[in-house]
Amino acid sequence: MNLKKYLVRALHRLQKGPGYTYKELLVWYCDNTNTHGPKRIIKEGPKKKLMWFFLTLLFASLVFWQWGILINTYLSYNVTSSLSIGFKTMKFPAVTVCNANPFKYSEVKPLLKELDRLIEAALERILQPGNSSEDESPPLDLELWNQIPLVLIDEHDKDNPVILDIFETNQTAVGNDTNVNNDIAGDNETMGNKTMNDFGAKPTVWSQTTAWNQTAAPPAPGNTTSEEKKYKLAVKLCSHQGSDNCTYRNFSSAAQAVTEWYILQSTSILSKVPLHERIRMGYQAEDMILACLYGAEPCNYKNFTQIYHPDHGNCYIFNWGMDEEALNSSNPGAEFGLKLILDISQQDYIPYLSSAAGARLMLHQQKSFPFLKDQGIYAMAGTETSIGVLVDELERMGYPYSDCTMNGSDVPVKNLYSQYNTSYSIQACLRSCFQNHMVEICGCGHYMFPLPEGVTYCNNEDNPGWAYCYSSLRSSIKQRQICIDSCKETCNDTQYKMTISMADWPSEASEDWIFHILSYERDMSTNVTLDRNGVIKLNIYFQEYNYRTISESAATTIVWLLSSLGGQFGFWMGGSVLCLIEFGEIIIDSVWITIINIIGWCKGLKQRRARARYPDAPPTVSELVEAHTNLGFQHEAPGAVPRAGELPPEPGTPPPNYDSLRVRPPDTLGPDSNRDTE
Amino acid sequence: MAQPSPEGGRAAPAGPGKKITARLKRTLPVRGPQAPTLSELMRWYCLNTNTHGCRRIVVSRGRLRRLLWIVLTLSAVGLILWQCAELLMNYYSASVSVTVQFQKLPFPAVTICNINPYKYSAMKEYLSELDKETKKALETFYGFSEGKSKVRRSVDDWNSTGSDFFQHIPLLKVEDFSRTATDLHTGQKRKIEGSVFHKDSSIVNSGDSNNIIGFQLCDANNSSDCALYTFSSGVNAIQEWYKLHYMNIMAQIPLETKEKLSYSADDLLLTCFFDGLSCDKRHFTRFHHPLHGNCYTFNSGENGTILSTSTGGSEYGLQVVLYIDEAEYNPFLVTSSGAKIIVHDQNEYPFIEDIGTEIEPAAATSIGMHFTRSRKLSKPYSDCTETGADIPVENLYNKSYSLQICLHSCFQKAMVDSCGCAQYAQPLPAGAEYCNYKKNPNWMYCYYRLHEKFVKEQLGCQQICKDACSFKEWALTTSIAQWPSIVSEDWMLRVLSWDKGQKLNKKLNKTDLANLMVFYKDLNERFISENPANTLVILLSNFGGQLGLWMSCSVVCVIEIVEVFFIDSLSIVLRRQWQKAKKWWRNRQQGGPGKAPQAGDPERQGHDNPVCIDEDLPTFTTALRLPLPQNSPLPRTPPPNYSTLHLETAFTEQLPDTLELDRH
Repeated sequence: MNLKKYLVRALHRLQKGPGYTYKELLVWYCDNTNTHGPKRIIKEGPKKKLMWFFLTLLFASLVFWQWGILINTYLSYNVTSSLSIGFKTMKFPAVTVCNANPFKYSEVKPLLKELDRLIEAALERILQPGNSSEDESPPLDLELWNQIPLVLIDEHDKDNPVILDIFETNQTAVGNDTNVNNDIAGDNETMGNKTMNDFGAKPTVWSQTTAWNQTAAPPAPGNTTSEEKKYKLAVKLCSHQGSDNCTYRNFSSAAQAVTEWYILQSTSILSKVPLHERIRMGYQAEDMILACLYGAEPCNYKNFTQIYHPDHGNCYIFNWGMDEEALNSSNPGAEFGLKLILDISQQDYIPYLSSAAGARLMLHQQKSFPFLKDQGIYAMAGTETSIGVLVDELERMGYPYSDCTMNGSDVPVKNLYSQYNTSYSIQACLRSCFQNHMVEICGCGHYMFPLPEGVTYCNNEDNPGWAYCYSSLRSSIKQRQICIDSCKETCNDTQYKMTISMADWPSEASEDWIFHILSYERDMSTNVTLDRNGVIKLNIYFQEYNYRTISESAATTIVWLLSSLGGQFGFWMGGSVLCLIEFGEIIIDSVWITIINIIGWCKGLKQRRARARYPDAPPTVSELVEAHTNLGFQHEAPGAVPRAGELPPEPGTPPPNYDSLRVRPPDTLGPDSNRDTE
Repeated sequence: MAQPSPEGGRAAPAGPGKKITARLKRTLPVRGPQAPTLSELMRWYCLNTNTHGCRRIVVSRGRLRRLLWIVLTLSAVGLILWQCAELLMNYYSASVSVTVQFQKLPFPAVTICNINPYKYSAMKEYLSELDKETKKALETFYGFSEGKSKVRRSVDDWNSTGSDFFQHIPLLKVEDFSRTATDLHTGQKRKIEGSVFHKDSSIVNSGDSNNIIGFQLCDANNSSDCALYTFSSGVNAIQEWYKLHYMNIMAQIPLETKEKLSYSADDLLLTCFFDGLSCDKRHFTRFHHPLHGNCYTFNSGENGTILSTSTGGSEYGLQVVLYIDEAEYNPFLVTSSGAKIIVHDQNEYPFIEDIGTEIEPAAATSIGMHFTRSRKLSKPYSDCTETGADIPVENLYNKSYSLQICLHSCFQKAMVDSCGCAQYAQPLPAGAEYCNYKKNPNWMYCYYRLHEKFVKEQLGCQQICKDACSFKEWALTTSIAQWPSIVSEDWMLRVLSWDKGQKLNKKLNKTDLANLMVFYKDLNERFISENPANTLVILLSNFGGQLGLWMSCSVVCVIEIVEVFFIDSLSIVLRRQWQKAKKWWRNRQQGGPGKAPQAGDPERQGHDNPVCIDEDLPTFTTALRLPLPQNSPLPRTPPPNYSTLHLETAFTEQLPDTLELDRH
């Protein structure tokens, strides 16, 4: 009961606002608020009052409009960037060096022998069809050939190209399901469909494979006299051997066709070789890295970490930071950088696999996987290549400021490169994504990428259709888009900007002794085993300004937002948060007034009704006295807001309002408002 | 509200004027000052203003304290003004933001040119005379001859068929600085007049003056106005001289012929591979460059589609094998062999001669790209142009604006204006034609003079041309590997020869071939953009912050200040003056015409607004709606309000004005 009383009293006190009508309340608010405009409204003369009223309204709407803009700005999460350039002691980048050629030819020759004989014979037939020397050598392994054959496309008749097999076999490519794929424009997503999108002026050509008699050799291509090339090489890819679902990957150049074909075939062969065997076939560190000097400290091949890279065989990484601390470099200039002498032994290159000779090298961050095909550069044999390095860093803020990932954990692609213990990168993500798709669709993994668990690499025997499947997947725009969409870039993007310059090395005068010493050091014999076509000198060093860091910071913080909001409110109306609270108070008060009015109105209604019911009964004194007391708040026990229905149907006049004093001039407001604070 | 104005003592205007005044009084919103005198006004202001500080001055007791508050208030005002000025001055500053986006990137246009512009064998008929002349010069000056008999014969030929414009600008050998030179043809020594220009500045006064070789350009109209161009090395001199005549000859050949003389796409491109798929010459657009002949642009976007790559790495970029064909090189025009490429946007003009990258033959050049897009804010943040439309130089190139285009166009325009013909290396403006000796014998001299002015920034081109606000940049990392490798050389050359479709017995030479790979290193696009550091919203909130911090002031206060300090004060001052004037007038009328009129008063009268003055006082009282104490019918008086008391005193003090009027 006590509590109820207390509540009622509290409510009553609350109810006792600065006024009992809206007008009073407003006048009181205007006079006492801390915002600047309203005070003017009541203090000025009537015309100025109007002016001030509109001004206040205008300013209030301005404030709200500007607040909207500010909040919008805040929610757009802008960033500001700051740039710093200079020299500081920095971690020397990890340097990966590889040979452009993955394996020593002398080592892989037994594996690739058949393949080489095939391609040589094929080239013989294509290039010199007339004098096809009858094979005295052992017969070619046509089984291998037929898995992924090369075909010649005769385009004498543009609308009706004839497909010629290079070796006469009983295989005739018949059927309408073949198509020639010659385009680089996008929409050949499914290679099995019938459209050939020829990108350019040429109309859509469809190669209707004509059943051709197995005549001797293909006609001599050299006879063509006109400018237009009449023969093209293509790689025939079938979903499985002997099936009709074949596609011809057409090449404008025979050189490319041969290379592509060779890569496909050799991939299939090499994928069956176990990893340690492949490592053995590649270039060994002691053969490749002849001399090493970091700053003034000597280093040797043992300072390099070996990693097997599918494209380039054995690669060696200096300063990878996996086992030991990364080296720092605190001085600019070539004297304080890394100096390497490499031997790529060009004579031992696989002839058909890699046509460019040189070392492949790449600078990258510690603990990241080197993606040489993307970021690597070449160094030419017989030259000294100097590389000045500028570290270009971009440090970004993560979500919600930009859509990047800090460590790749929030990317929905399984990172296959994590088996190397390397950090996330977008390249790793894209490749993992591709490999995952490949495993999903083709059932085996591609040789160039790491394997997910429990999957083997593709080869011709186990997965006869893999080349077809891989080709279609590789050229599928959709697949790429899926990978691009699911991979995110890292927030900290570090690039090594290189300034590359080259000179001939060794000079003719110094050539002899340099080769002698280097050969001697390698195998302790006096035979010179090196020549100009193999040695490469590399200098990698920091430039005078070795870093350029762009770091982001939030342009709009909550502090910024608050001070801007306050600034706007203050600028237009001189207001603050307290003014908002004041305003809220006024709203509560007006709600109270409304409630009281409603109560009063209801009471009045009931009384009128009661009076109508008893039109003659005069009010007794006690009734009148009761009418003066506030029934709603004193007699009615339950609830703050007594509902109209619960009120007793008391007859009588509405209670006189105490504050009818308000009719007097405004100075009565002073004492009135003072009374509130009691 | 508008009370009937009491009849003023001054000469009342005529009927209609009075009516207008009355109406004005009624409609004028501003009803005059809040107080009759300036000090009262200030007091009123200080007590009623919304700004802090001011009130303290009035309220505080004690002189020291009041002084302190005055100083504080004033310094707050000063701080506000200073800070706001600072804010205003920094308004047009820009902040830079760098965004990186990983996405499918549009592949840029790649323009590839052979360094040698035209096939030498095809050019024979146009250049034979010039070549003969050059060979003769080589023989006379340096004793060089390749195959004596051939040269001898050609010299004989020259005498019969030689045209005369080589005589206009012969190669000269300068004996020494006594300014005599040996003419190539006549062998005569002749006096050199005019100024000596050194193309190589380092040779000035070099001891061995016998080796100096050069050529002289004269103004055709005024043969005494000559300029001698000398070079420290004969290599430079011969090449420069050759180029001069070469341009002259080429300017006369129509474009179609030139295109035929140059390499076709089949000649230049042996293989092409893009994004893992084969491509051919149809993906290349021909582009004729005046100095480099036929160039081919891959992915020029001419057929409406721009190729894009969705994977980085060398396999997915553009790979081409170029046929350089060194046998067709012009021995005097180009001395290096290889190709030139430039990576540019589809809308950009490829300035191959300025910013091309050279490609070595017998090597694989791998070019990794990194894409950066930049955007500057244009006026008023920085002085750059969005489209080039606001630059008074006509864009002669059919491409989007760039600084380079502007400079070249500007020079070409100056050339046409002052020399009457256009320079060969740049496009033609409307109605102009290329310079050649037949029509413009004078152009060479004019060109050199103009070019010198251009380089010294005397033509004003550098001032007119602005840089473009947005530009795309492909940062290239170029590296070279040996290609083909020793072991693959054999089959590679055989197959490429077959590709070329030549006779089988003719094998290509590896020095005639160049392998080029252009690819994206990664698909990260860096976008560097400038953003306005301030917007109006932020400026205003900063203002508000400053005003609020120092004085709790707002726009309302500013309006108050304007009202009180300008409108009200002014009207008070004016009224004072008006009253003074009236008093003086009365005095003069009373005291006779002896007194001279005081200065300023007649003028003041013109400024005076009688409407404001007359009506103010009654309005003031009514505006406050304060019941006069004696009229108050209430039994209990309201508690005395301090401010009311002030106002009442103000009211009583105000009366002299009204009284005066009434008295009159």
